[in-house]
Amino acid sequence: MSSKNHSIEHEELMAYLDGELATDRAVEAAAHLERCEVCQELAAELRKMSQEMMGWEIEELEPAEDIPIALAAALEERPRVARKPEARGRRRLFTPRRLAWAGGATALVLVALVFFVSRLSLGPQYDFRLREKPQAQVTDGHADAISAQLVSPNEASPSKSLSGYSGSAGKLEKDEDGEANSPEDDSRPEVPEIPMIARTAGLTLVAKEFDKTRASVEEILKRHSGYIGELSVSAPSDAGRTLTATLRIPAPQLEAALAELKQLGRVENESQGGEEVTQEYVDLTARLANAQHTEKRLTEILSSRTGKLQDVLKVELEIDRVRGEIEQMVAQKKELAERVAFATLNTTVKEEYHARLEATPPSTGSRFRNAAVDGYNTVVEGFVQVGLFLLSAGPSLLIWAAILFFPVRWLWRKVRAELKKNHQQEAS
Amino acid sequence: MLPGGEAVTMISDEALMLEFQRGSREAFEELFARYREPLYGFFRRRLASKDRAEDLAQETFLAVIRAAVRYEPRALVKTYLYGIALKLLAAERRKLSGNEAQLEPEHEEAAQEIASDEAMWVRQALEKLEAGEREILMLREYEQLNYAEIAELLRLPVNTVRTRLFRARMALKEFLEPKRKLQGAKADGAGRERNVARPAAGDEGAK
Repeated sequence: MSSKNHSIEHEELMAYLDGELATDRAVEAAAHLERCEVCQELAAELRKMSQEMMGWEIEELEPAEDIPIALAAALEERPRVARKPEARGRRRLFTPRRLAWAGGATALVLVALVFFVSRLSLGPQYDFRLREKPQAQVTDGHADAISAQLVSPNEASPSKSLSGYSGSAGKLEKDEDGEANSPEDDSRPEVPEIPMIARTAGLTLVAKEFDKTRASVEEILKRHSGYIGELSVSAPSDAGRTLTATLRIPAPQLEAALAELKQLGRVENESQGGEEVTQEYVDLTARLANAQHTEKRLTEILSSRTGKLQDVLKVELEIDRVRGEIEQMVAQKKELAERVAFATLNTTVKEEYHARLEATPPSTGSRFRNAAVDGYNTVVEGFVQVGLFLLSAGPSLLIWAAILFFPVRWLWRKVRAELKKNHQQEAS
Repeated sequence: MLPGGEAVTMISDEALMLEFQRGSREAFEELFARYREPLYGFFRRRLASKDRAEDLAQETFLAVIRAAVRYEPRALVKTYLYGIALKLLAAERRKLSGNEAQLEPEHEEAAQEIASDEAMWVRQALEKLEAGEREILMLREYEQLNYAEIAELLRLPVNTVRTRLFRARMALKEFLEPKRKLQGAKADGAGRERNVARPAAGDEGAK
């Protein structure tokens, strides 16, 4: 099938039939095809071959009413996968619908947090703080606003709206209402207006009167609605006592509490620090909302669809995983909110040096007593040692004694007889 | 008919893909509806197992879901999908290469029972083609890809695709010749009957 005599090569003819030839060549090819029998034959061949190839039909798929369960699960999973750094992913993260979910979930979590924090972790002291706070004049605004987030709307006093931070608190309440009425409302804030800062402070004091200082620390703590995270007192006999405590004080009252604590003794060391956790908190909230949404959708999928057992198991595994993540994130969020609401104050109170001098020299009486006890102990110890020696070496001593008794006696008698004889000779 | 090109008024695949990127589930469902059969067909014609073909078609969509963010509108969705499908197919073939020798005959027997004569002929003729040429021919005929799309997919120059496609078609014509002659003999009176007797007998002898 040579193409020597053809203005159009066979390969071009094929491209023409496939609709892949440039217009000028296509026109030429069409004209050539009209008059060239060889090419007509080839064209017919090629068309026939296409038809023959189409004869290889495959079994049809069962019609799908819906997308398979595994794909549906992957679609639910997708926002978290695609959420990463891409700008596109970010945009998708804040779709109105998702924001509505996030808002709802945040409100729920906040209510749950109030419940847990007030009931479980802090006990009556915290309740006291919540009731007292609106009246208490606060010095540190942002933390107040943050702790206001921990207060449920009906607990929050109306006087709060008079404070300079009513904006965020009011908005938060609006969120919760908004969630109930219009889930599509996307005007709710993505980021808390006030930065969330987890504050820490360290204070080392040297106090003259240790017991009194300790009582004062507890009193100050109570006055500022704080609580003791951890406390230990060490009282070595040859040194002053030391109190080491991790105090948790409501962030707005940290300054006041610190000032009062500093009055208790000589400040040996003081430090303060703050870590901004706004971004972490917002991120956590969004991820949590996403995960909760995913869990809900997966549960729906599982209950409303049927599929291969393998797919169902996959979805169940996925649900388990998502639930684990949710629990972890709720715990993280709770911990984060608590770190922001309550500043951590590491306090060390040392007893002053002279106190140690008083404790060190023992009295004469006790020295005599100690000497007597030591003497008694030495005697007892001596007996015990002898007893032990006899027990361990006795048997071998007895054997040696038995072996050596007669030779030694014989020797002794001989020596004595010898000496006697010498005496007698001298005497005579 | 081109997959995805049933109606002019339909939203293009690329627009759907962008919609999907923005989070639209409906867009994905539409893409799934358009490409479910074609992708299944792609795998079914290239693998012995129907179940695996179905699984791999599903896996292609899974990969799309996972990698949607990386899709860029300059690539056609069709080539994007078949690109993923080709990668999955290559992985599947690598996986099978160890035990294919034992598995393949069973499947083939089963397939032979079901498939029509026509399909058997085409399948066997295609198998005789050189792998690269076969792939180009199949992408052209079954997946209905144009030269440029095949070139993009296989990372070849368009002219190379055209040349290999032509070579593949010429070779296939040769391989299908015995079948035509057989059919011609059966038809008894077709225009090509003068060529029938000798090669058909030869073919039977060969078989």
